[in-house]
Amino acid sequence: MSLEQFKDRNVGVQNYRQLDLPQSPTTAMCKVKQVAKRSLKGELFVGLGVTVREMVSTLFGKGLHTTQYPFEKLPISPRYRAIHEMLRLLESGNYRCIGCGLCEKICISNCISMETRYDENQRKEVSAYTINFGRCIFCGYCAEVCPELAIVHGGRYETASEQRASFSLFEDMLTPIDQLSLQQEYQGFGAVSPNADDNIKKTPLAY
Amino acid sequence: MAHKVKIDTTKEITVTIDGKVCKSSYGKTILEIARANGIYVPTMCYLTKVKPIASCRMCVVEVEGVNGMVLSCQEKATDGAVVTTQSQELHKQRQSIMKLYNVNHPLECGVCDKSGECDLQNKTLEFGVNQQSFSTKEPHRPVQDWGFVSYDAGLCIMCEKCVRVANEITGNEALQLSVGGYNSTIINVKNDKFDASLGESASVCPVGALVNTHFKYTSNAWELKKIPASCTHCASGCELTYEVKDDTIYRVSNHAEFTSLCPAGRYGFEFRSSSAKVPLDLARAVEAFSKASTIQFSSIITNEEALILQKLKEKMGYKLVSKEAKAYGDFLTSYSSVSGKSLYNGDLKSIASSDALIVLGSRINTDNPMVKYHMTMASKHNRARVVYMHPLEDDALNNIVTQYIKYEAGSEEGVVALLASAFAQKSLDLPFEIKSILDNLDVGNLSAESNVGEEEIEILVKSFAKKKRFSLIIGADVYAHKRASNIAKIVALFEKYLDFSVILVPPTTNALGVSQICELDDKCDGFTIGYNTLGDFTLGSMGEVDLITPSLSQQEGTITTLNKRVVPTNVALDFEGYTLHDVARALGLGIKIDYTVGYTSKLPTSKGFKSESFDDLPNYFDVQGNEHRGYLLDILEVATDGKLEDVCPIDTFDGAVIYNANPIMQFSPHTALCLKLIESRALIGSSQFALASKLSDGDKISYNIDGIEFSRVFRIDTSIKGTFAFNPLYDMGLSSALLSSYRFSRLEFKKEGRD
Ligand code: SF4
Ligand code: SF4
Ligand code: SF4
Ligand code: SF4
Ligand code: FES
Repeated sequence: MSLEQFKDRNVGVQNYRQLDLPQSPTTAMCKVKQVAKRSLKGELFVGLGVTVREMVSTLFGKGLHTTQYPFEKLPISPRYRAIHEMLRLLESGNYRCIGCGLCEKICISNCISMETRYDENQRKEVSAYTINFGRCIFCGYCAEVCPELAIVHGGRYETASEQRASFSLFEDMLTPIDQLSLQQEYQGFGAVSPNADDNIKKTPLAY
Repeated sequence: MAHKVKIDTTKEITVTIDGKVCKSSYGKTILEIARANGIYVPTMCYLTKVKPIASCRMCVVEVEGVNGMVLSCQEKATDGAVVTTQSQELHKQRQSIMKLYNVNHPLECGVCDKSGECDLQNKTLEFGVNQQSFSTKEPHRPVQDWGFVSYDAGLCIMCEKCVRVANEITGNEALQLSVGGYNSTIINVKNDKFDASLGESASVCPVGALVNTHFKYTSNAWELKKIPASCTHCASGCELTYEVKDDTIYRVSNHAEFTSLCPAGRYGFEFRSSSAKVPLDLARAVEAFSKASTIQFSSIITNEEALILQKLKEKMGYKLVSKEAKAYGDFLTSYSSVSGKSLYNGDLKSIASSDALIVLGSRINTDNPMVKYHMTMASKHNRARVVYMHPLEDDALNNIVTQYIKYEAGSEEGVVALLASAFAQKSLDLPFEIKSILDNLDVGNLSAESNVGEEEIEILVKSFAKKKRFSLIIGADVYAHKRASNIAKIVALFEKYLDFSVILVPPTTNALGVSQICELDDKCDGFTIGYNTLGDFTLGSMGEVDLITPSLSQQEGTITTLNKRVVPTNVALDFEGYTLHDVARALGLGIKIDYTVGYTSKLPTSKGFKSESFDDLPNYFDVQGNEHRGYLLDILEVATDGKLEDVCPIDTFDGAVIYNANPIMQFSPHTALCLKLIESRALIGSSQFALASKLSDGDKISYNIDGIEFSRVFRIDTSIKGTFAFNPLYDMGLSSALLSSYRFSRLEFKKEGRD
């Protein structure tokens, strides 16, 4: 497709029409008159009335319009890249990570460090795995490269803690075994949030 | 083959490969010529150091006038041949080979140790095989643990490299092919869990089928930093690479296409020392050095350290004592006084290319495994006659030795004299006086004393008659012999007049370097500093010492190897404390030199060293496998003023005799620190030995050699013949280096109970 039509900036032949707006006051006297007229008309109280109405309905009714953070949190978009999660296999409960080391290799902040070993079951066992969240830039490369969909970005965006170690160990990121049934499959980048439908509203055309 | 054509390797030939005119000599394969000229031919099973295997067919090329495709790895080029290495046909052919390799190949690169350096991965990518188009029923093939290595038949591509290495290089012959179509596997016929030489086979495996058990799944290849270094366990100074992560050595690898490593080199890397810079320690060392009159040291040090010690001697007037290096140096000097050359003429390559070999005075399989590997190559590649002369037979050599000649311990002088006189019969250019000494030998008496039958020597000489390239390998038994000087002179005749390559195997890692760099004294006197050996004030990298110094994996520098090559080694692990150079600087020596390697360019040119700085030393192998590591020592002309003496009657050792020899994989206190190496600290003797000395298996005894107290458990090994026992030295810590007298001795012991 050629871009010609977008490059045509000749707007001279459009049919614009001037609106019949009243004249803006020009003299000082006219300006004073306009201010006095608007103040005395009572429009101020119309606005106050709306506020009072909303206050009453919030306090005694049900129409709360804000989220009561931190007691209440909105579901976050799966596109959001917060603290990582390590997922488990749903059938066996075993962790998915096979210790391939690709996340360690691809990490551009060089903040993943892992150790592996040969375990009793002849598998590659991840014996140590940490992410230094002081360095992680949450780029998502690790989750992108993981061949097992083992490491994903979770929704835990609050990264304030007394200790950096609080959420950088493998065990902390791993789905707790008793919550395996609650484990959410990672939707991947570009996914829509779970409550996306609810959030769809008609955009009013006029105010 | 109808008839054998004699190959004249000097004949020049011209071959055109992909339009490029390549000159080469007759007898080279097409692949060799292509590689030498920088032309790429893909291969899967080719291994430079063994004979062409020809199992993969990847190396196919087209030769004008020849029907079909030719395997370039085994086809010798003919003069005027026109070769094409790349065409659509060939590409298709190679691609279908790769497709077959990928039949059922597990998609487990994610965990495989080989990932990132896998030939199958690389070639699959190179030939664009992006799916597994065929499959077949997969038999159950569990991973097998063979001790030091593990074998996963599921990953094996049956290239056969591992088998060839076990047969042609290490000579343990443990691996075999079990052929059965898709079910073919490699089998370990010996199934010896302690056979660490299988590591050599694992090192050539192009895929993850044969891997080191200790390393398995511990790290991805690309996470490891590769530090080029040299093995410091024995005098072969083999090329190796320490693979390091987080200040820990994960594994040792090597340029396995061209070089080899013995088990100690491959698995013995856990020796290190750690320390911090505490000024008080240095001050104490300086104080000790100022009152000392002798420095005694082990010759397992770098050339640079040896030079620092020599300079300290020149500056402060110390006596320098290193017994093993001194004995070796004296032997070499006597040798040179007859040969007229500052160094012997042989090296490992000359051993591998010879077709007639004599080993004398060494338990070579444990003393220097790399010499044994090269003997194996000679045996397998050239069908060499291998004559092993020693008081003790060695079962580990059974498959390559063609003749054992046993002599009485202590009779080495007589034995070399007998040998020399037998070979001298044929030589015309022997000077009259030498000839007369050899002719006047009392052969009957010598052969009775040494217990070497005249007919044994006759058989030996006869079997050498049709051979062309001779080698004589002399080992550590003779350097500390009472008659060492005369033995050296007789041995030198073999080089000078009898057309032998002679190799004087240095007894320790850098005995050759130390003996050339330092002016050594005979005896200690007064206050003695010990450097890596015990002294009144001891500096060392292990045990209870007064100042901790870095071990050889924590130092850069050079060592002088058996090949007369000065090879560089680099720092693999950190060390925070003081080095010998720091101490020397505190004493006012080498103030302007920043690092120990500043001494590399100052090594004595009068001894054949070159004044090249450490950073300029090359360290690589080219595509043809030629070694470019450091430099070769220059061999200098020396005066031939040595006079042969008459052979002395020997002191016989009757009764129980012990032989100082380390068990396989152990060389020194450094290897003793390596947990992966097999230990054996007992005194192991034959049943006759037990009888003669009234010992039974499990007795605890103590005895004294060279002033060092030993306390060992006695064990009987029925495979040993004669009244001998093996006494290991490697586990004696810093005293090990003090044990340097003649290796055979009579045992006088005290019983201390039972184990
Ligand atoms: S998000 Fe990016 S920076 Fe953070 S661990 Fe993953 S790859 Fe590294
Ligand atoms: S990329 Fe995935 S499977 Fe591989 S180590 Fe990282 S988390 Fe484990
Ligand atoms: S042998 Fe090579 S191709 Fe096979 S799994 Fe291992 S790395 Fe991958
Ligand atoms: S184990 Fe390795 S070296 Fe041996 S045949 Fe199989 S692939 Fe080749
Ligand atoms: S390299 Fe020639 S057949 Fe394998």
